[in-house]
Amino acid sequence: MTQITISKERKSEDIEKTLHPFIKEWFFSKFDDFSPPQKYGVLSIWERKNILISAPTGGTKTLTSFLSILNYLVILADKNELEKKIYAIYTSPLKALSNDIHKNLIEPLEEINKIAELHGRKLQEIRVRLRTGDTSQSEKSKMARNPPHILITTPESLAIVLTSKKFVEYMKAVEFCVIDEIHSLGNKRGVYLSLSLERLNELSRIWPVKIGLSATIEPLEEVAKFLTGVDSKDKKRDVEIAKIQFSKRIDIDVLSPVEELINHENPNKEMYKLINELVREHKTTLIFTNTRSATERIVSYLKDKFPTEYGEDNIAAHHSSLSKNHRFDIEERLRDGKLKVVVCSTSLELGIDIGYIDLVILLGSPKASSRALQRIGRAGHKLHETAKGRFIVLDRDDLVECAVIQKEMIEGKIDKIQFPKNCLDVLSQQIYGMAIYKIWDVDELISTIRKSYCYSELGKSDFFSVISYLSGDYGLEKDWVYGKIWYDKQERKIGKKGKMARVIYMTNIGTIPEESFVTVKLAPSGEKIGFIDESFLTRMKKRDVFVLGGKKYSYQYTKGMNLYVKQEVARAPTIPSWFSEMLPLSFDSALEINKFRELMKERFELKKSKEEIMSFIKKYLYTNENISNEIYNYFHQQYEFSDIPNTKLITIEKYIDERDNKKYLLVNSMYGRRVNDVLSRAIAYLIGKSGNRDVEIGISDRGFYLASENLEIEKALSHLTENNIEGILKEAIEKTDILTRRFRHCATRSLMILRNYKGENRSVKKQQMKSHFLISSVRKISKEFPILNEAKREVLEDLMDIENAKKVIRWIKEGEIKIETDYVRIPSPFSLNLILQGHLDLMRIEDKQDFLRRMHIVYTQEIEKKGKIDYAGEYNEIDGY
Amino acid sequence: MKLTDTKSKIEYELIDKAVFFRKHGILAFGDLHLGYEQMLKEQGIMIPFNQLKQSTGDIMKIINSLKKKKLKINKIVILGDLKHHFNFKKEEKFEIRDFLRFIEDAVGKDNIILIKGNHEKIELDSREYKDYYIQDGIAFAHGDKIFQEILDKKISLIVLGHLHTAVFLKENSGVKKEKYKCFLAGKWKNKEVIILPSFFPMREGTWINEGGQDRENFSIIQKKNLHNFNIYITSKDKTYCFGKLKDLN
Repeated sequence: MTQITISKERKSEDIEKTLHPFIKEWFFSKFDDFSPPQKYGVLSIWERKNILISAPTGGTKTLTSFLSILNYLVILADKNELEKKIYAIYTSPLKALSNDIHKNLIEPLEEINKIAELHGRKLQEIRVRLRTGDTSQSEKSKMARNPPHILITTPESLAIVLTSKKFVEYMKAVEFCVIDEIHSLGNKRGVYLSLSLERLNELSRIWPVKIGLSATIEPLEEVAKFLTGVDSKDKKRDVEIAKIQFSKRIDIDVLSPVEELINHENPNKEMYKLINELVREHKTTLIFTNTRSATERIVSYLKDKFPTEYGEDNIAAHHSSLSKNHRFDIEERLRDGKLKVVVCSTSLELGIDIGYIDLVILLGSPKASSRALQRIGRAGHKLHETAKGRFIVLDRDDLVECAVIQKEMIEGKIDKIQFPKNCLDVLSQQIYGMAIYKIWDVDELISTIRKSYCYSELGKSDFFSVISYLSGDYGLEKDWVYGKIWYDKQERKIGKKGKMARVIYMTNIGTIPEESFVTVKLAPSGEKIGFIDESFLTRMKKRDVFVLGGKKYSYQYTKGMNLYVKQEVARAPTIPSWFSEMLPLSFDSALEINKFRELMKERFELKKSKEEIMSFIKKYLYTNENISNEIYNYFHQQYEFSDIPNTKLITIEKYIDERDNKKYLLVNSMYGRRVNDVLSRAIAYLIGKSGNRDVEIGISDRGFYLASENLEIEKALSHLTENNIEGILKEAIEKTDILTRRFRHCATRSLMILRNYKGENRSVKKQQMKSHFLISSVRKISKEFPILNEAKREVLEDLMDIENAKKVIRWIKEGEIKIETDYVRIPSPFSLNLILQGHLDLMRIEDKQDFLRRMHIVYTQEIEKKGKIDYAGEYNEIDGY
Repeated sequence: MKLTDTKSKIEYELIDKAVFFRKHGILAFGDLHLGYEQMLKEQGIMIPFNQLKQSTGDIMKIINSLKKKKLKINKIVILGDLKHHFNFKKEEKFEIRDFLRFIEDAVGKDNIILIKGNHEKIELDSREYKDYYIQDGIAFAHGDKIFQEILDKKISLIVLGHLHTAVFLKENSGVKKEKYKCFLAGKWKNKEVIILPSFFPMREGTWINEGGQDRENFSIIQKKNLHNFNIYITSKDKTYCFGKLKDLN
């Protein structure tokens, strides 16, 4: 077993002793003493121990990781012993961050050189170079001739250099490898990086010491294993963990712009007033909004309503659809203290130094305590000890959610990160790269792969299905299509195929799916509202109503890459909004909310007075008078109406919408959208199957609704078990758009779809439109085609949360959760938002031919009703064919 | 379903994606777009090839169902856009060669009429591609270009492809909708016209009952002139009439 130990705090003198005089002089010219992360980390790194350092944002993690490395390099440089090789690799998922670090490394080095000069010494040059997707060709070849001592790179560029024969020569004795922002790698990019690290380990003559840097994150043991990989026999992979608590004081509160959210006509308007007040009271405010469109809307509204306060010079929007230069410019102005407010979606959550922020406002729930901490940690960066944050809420569900997340933050309860496991698309891409690098013995290949934490349990059959795909089995070869590698079964060797291999690999590398966006504008003024995914547009037709940034719009017409819309108030959305891929509420926070609901229910049942309950809320959730009162009223109404769903109870309301006689099931299951996605689809599928009818589904973090002709949920629930749910769900997602979409991503990662081919960049639009051809032809090849299986795994495990859904099913079966079903004339207060959101997807059960027959009867009746059967006059139906 | 053009008394039936004239033994279909997968491959979508197999399979089913009824096919008319690429592609050439060999086996080389579609920009072989084909008052053409001969007064029925016609059927609640390939039959310039859906197996076609594009001069019949056409959708065992296009939705 890989041994994991807790790092010890070291004495400053002991750290000092290891430092070269110039480093020491430089360090103490900048700082008075070592910071907590440095006390835990610097010496361990010096002693060449793998270490994971988890500390809040704004700590001194980066310097912690580099101090011993710089020290080591300066000692060598001073003795003129620096070799022509890469000593340290630093990788970060953010391109912008890499730039930032570059600056933060080069400047200290310059300062150290100056100190050396003052002492009459000239240090050998320590080269730091940046290699990302933006690095020019000439820069790259310069590096290949003269390698940097410290290479700053991204996961993608690291994989590229690992495939480059020349460069790899300099990487065979890397001594340190820093992985920054690990907390943002709980995705396929992280999986990809973990394989790249194993490739690096495999080609190294010595063990590259791993240094992981992370914001506050849990569970640290698992993250540590991700960092060093797993190999039971290998002591080199033992790892230390340094957990630095949130040392900054946090000052947080939940605010509502009005006294009663439910009865106020326009809480939005009041919200802007509140934002303005808060901004005026502070020097620099950072606002997080969750979505890009909201970001733009808030900036323009503030400028409009308070023209004397806000203008181009002091307010800016920052999100990922802005150009790189534009973003850099905003970051620069922020650092220089020139901006009063910056509004961002999620883009400023991660590490780059953004200077002095004294207030962070979170509009809407951040959906997880780790994210909330990350965001609020942006305040008081370095300079101030207190991180000040305010949640502003606009509806009562959001209010409860934010209050509970606030509690989790104060009490240090952090939601858990999950790394995807056994991803076959990432594996395909990496095996291709590995085969380009050299010829492998197949056992050596699989054992290298299995050392990655993300593939430690990779099955032989999965591995060989990928080999089959890559080597052109499945009868693909005859179509001149595949054959990326060759596999000699006798010799058990694997190598690359084709002259184009390297070019195809290098130009198509990566795991982040590309999406293309269409701009949404108001007709006819052309006022920009936001962006929608292009695939979303292809599903819409004129007059369809959809939600964007919380508002309803109807489709009018399109012009080029613009969609013109009208604001629509009356009609309900006809188009699902999952395309926006809203942040899901974490399962852990959802359970916390359930627990709070349970405690509230107990108090109502014990007939506690309002005062008693109010004081409980204030103490339990750390909320102010006004917010606590809102929460009390909300729960009181629900309790009076029917019952409060909680940890031990799921309530189901059966409801008929009289306007269109539609039957609804409103299920109050507070488990977060990822779990509800699983539960709702599995149940909808079972209900649909029994009646051969489609079922409409709407999903939220707090529950879901189903609508159809008959809704025998009891039968479906009794059929569902922990063991059969996965199989049911796989069938249930077979015909969904979400599977097709995820399949496109997986096909791109596994290089079935090439973004860059024959020297041309292919538009995402074309690929989006055409990937459904690919999925249907892949289905014809084999039901077990590895990339299709991967798409299903991704939907079930990464997008949805099958594991925790199984837990919920188990709790239901074991009787820990009771289910109460009731007929209602109107939905309960808690269920109101479930039904208002509009439908999300349709569980397609009915056969297309059956639908045709059924529709023909409907149409014929309609035509007869209108007396429009004149078509028979011109054409005589003679007999049935 | 067997249909009769009331004026000319020409009988025909709609089978899957093709039309069959019983009296003449003519089977017509069009818009196969062989080579489409090759184009996807060129665009970086590494798709396994299946189109040829599926197209020939679909035709085999039609031939077998006619055989079962003891009906003889004398002639096959391909209404254009047999191929997809505008320029030369070796792989496409092979697919077309194989496809034509397949239908030649069914009716003999001399009984195949090839009509030039807008995708037949270059010649792949020495076969003759006609602009149109006329037999007993029935004119067959692709539909992208107009020819005086098919407007001649001796012509009572025109058979076209090109538009890839399809419709959306949807429930009143508006949640569920499905797209189907469809035939359109109606009157135009005082003649009966049948427009066939595409034989292309991978996609339903262009929705024409709502929102679909109407590119100018794309087809000889403008979309607005199709409003009074009847919609027919074929299934495995039946043909359904869905009334006039303008009344659908």
